[in-house]
Amino acid sequence: MKKLLNRHETYVFIAVVVFSIIITIINPNFFTLENLFDLLKSYSLMGTFAIGMLFVLISGGIDISFTAIATVAGYTIAVLLLNVGDHLNIYMVFLIAGSIGIALGFLNAVIIHVFRIPSIITTIATLNIFYGLLTVITKGKWLYGFPTWFGDFATTRVFTLYSAHGNPYGLSIITVIWIGLVFISWFLLRFTILGRSLYAMGGNVNSAKRAGFNIFGNTAFVYSYMGLMAGIGSVIQALLVQTVAPNSLVGKEMDVIAAVVLGGASLTGGTGSVIGTILGVTLIAIMGNGLTLMHVPALWYKVVIGLVILISVGVSAYRRKMSAHKRVIIEND
Amino acid sequence: MKKQMFWARIISLIVVLSLLAACAPKPAAEAPAAEPYEIAVVVKITGIPWFNVVETGVVKAAKELGVNAYQTGPAQADPAAQVKIVEDLVAKGVDAIAVVPNDAKALEPVFQKAKEKGIIVITHESPDQVGTDYDFELIDNVKFGQHAWDQLVKYMGDSGEYAIFVGGLTVPLHNFWADTGIAYAQEKYPNLKLVTERIPCGEDQELARQKTLELIKAYPNLKGIVGFGSLGPIGAAQALKEKGLTDQIAVVGTVIPSQAAPYLADGSMKEGLLWNPADAGFGMVWLAKYLLDGNKVVDGLEIPGLGKATLDGTLIKLDAILDINKENAASLGF
Repeated sequence: MKKLLNRHETYVFIAVVVFSIIITIINPNFFTLENLFDLLKSYSLMGTFAIGMLFVLISGGIDISFTAIATVAGYTIAVLLLNVGDHLNIYMVFLIAGSIGIALGFLNAVIIHVFRIPSIITTIATLNIFYGLLTVITKGKWLYGFPTWFGDFATTRVFTLYSAHGNPYGLSIITVIWIGLVFISWFLLRFTILGRSLYAMGGNVNSAKRAGFNIFGNTAFVYSYMGLMAGIGSVIQALLVQTVAPNSLVGKEMDVIAAVVLGGASLTGGTGSVIGTILGVTLIAIMGNGLTLMHVPALWYKVVIGLVILISVGVSAYRRKMSAHKRVIIEND
Repeated sequence: MKKQMFWARIISLIVVLSLLAACAPKPAAEAPAAEPYEIAVVVKITGIPWFNVVETGVVKAAKELGVNAYQTGPAQADPAAQVKIVEDLVAKGVDAIAVVPNDAKALEPVFQKAKEKGIIVITHESPDQVGTDYDFELIDNVKFGQHAWDQLVKYMGDSGEYAIFVGGLTVPLHNFWADTGIAYAQEKYPNLKLVTERIPCGEDQELARQKTLELIKAYPNLKGIVGFGSLGPIGAAQALKEKGLTDQIAVVGTVIPSQAAPYLADGSMKEGLLWNPADAGFGMVWLAKYLLDGNKVVDGLEIPGLGKATLDGTLIKLDAILDINKENAASLGF
């Protein structure tokens, strides 16, 4: 019990529960399976990005460029879908987008490792390069009108239920993909040497190096993994809206980083968990959803999100500060 | 001997080629004794279909009128970024600037600067703009706002709950249409009930989709959505299709016809309204050239291909509302 109270995730979970109760009291429509499934589907994109971001943050880095990577991957598959769509299937689409994501993520890692440029600077630069080149080449044209199989896959439900009004709803295939990614990531972080070494590296890179961990290997892995998630995310986005617009993702980096940090990951590295990240995304999701359901004008959304992040991270930081007082720390650089 | 011939050929080829290279750009450099007017069109955001179509009109005008007209704008619909671009153009000293404002107020100081330098300023989609020489509108915006509500009522009936999407809360025209439409509805359709403040999601399809899903749950009796901003109605239509509610909730609004065509065809969107954005691009450049030539704008001015304009103070208006439905959406060409 005490151990549980020491965890940041516990507090986020409490916040999720409290907000859910408040929203449900005001509008019982919130606490329905239908709303849950809708939310899970809509936030699969943010959830996918958030998992990639979690790995980068744990290793002590940050990646701003993932929205641009996703845009490049998404645009490529959109062009392919429009031109040779009949010869493709959903696996190939994920494979192509994922490969592009991994390649661009790996490029980030190489630049960060070889030139020792701070990851935030590197990825701000590559964000602009990837996104800039894409807009130059494509002139920002929107792509829509994908093959029917692509639209059909997007509306596939694992099972279908009907609401009181007879509207169909159910667990979307998109959500299932996301849940799969969550489990793989959880396993990687929790039970593999690779996952544990990411925490070691984020905690103190010098100790990790002395302990014999392959720092470049780890760096390459986290940025490639972020790239892979960006690639998969781009397909999810294309599935969700059936349009690929070059400017629809870039600019949303901070929302994702905020969700991951809200879930307990630290910008200085070494901490964070998959469950926390899911809770962070959940909190952001139900805040946005709940405000509308509580009939609060949409304008308040950003204010509330900002306050929630500030309070949540603030409480967590304050607790750390308090517990630090009780310990004696010898720092040796 | 043969070898000499070979080299002679090579050398003569090189000489001819370099002469050609030297000559080629020359006519362009010498010809403009009087340099063509430089007319910059600054749009809200570059690289979205709407303004890509505007650009075709700008390019067409540049070619037909023999001016150096081009389109530019920020990568995001960001008022500050747009002001910066206009400032740079003023510093560069172009002859005329035509702006489709993100934020009317934010542009006032830089318009003042432009005027001090003798640069002609034209705006579009910003009827109450301060500091512009002329604001150019393809449509009568009061009529346009009212027309949107007429369309809404045509499909949802004249009583019931509805919601409004706009592109952003500082986009002048979207909010002007919303204001006139709401006022018009209070008078003509008193039983329509707006459920919540206008929602700023009209330029983001995913957000519009998500907001629509939320609205359905927050207001179970919702019967209509008016969307301004080319992606709002599409996102809404998509959400309705997902939920099988296309018969209960009517979506109307401003859309790109080719993009809306499938949604109009399956009934998830009922009707759209618009004007041809290419005409806007052409009209702005034409007007800039007309003014740079020293002509005066009068009531009843004939703009080639666009018709007669009415003049009201500094507001130049045409009347070209375009109804978009499942019959014409795919064939309009943009």
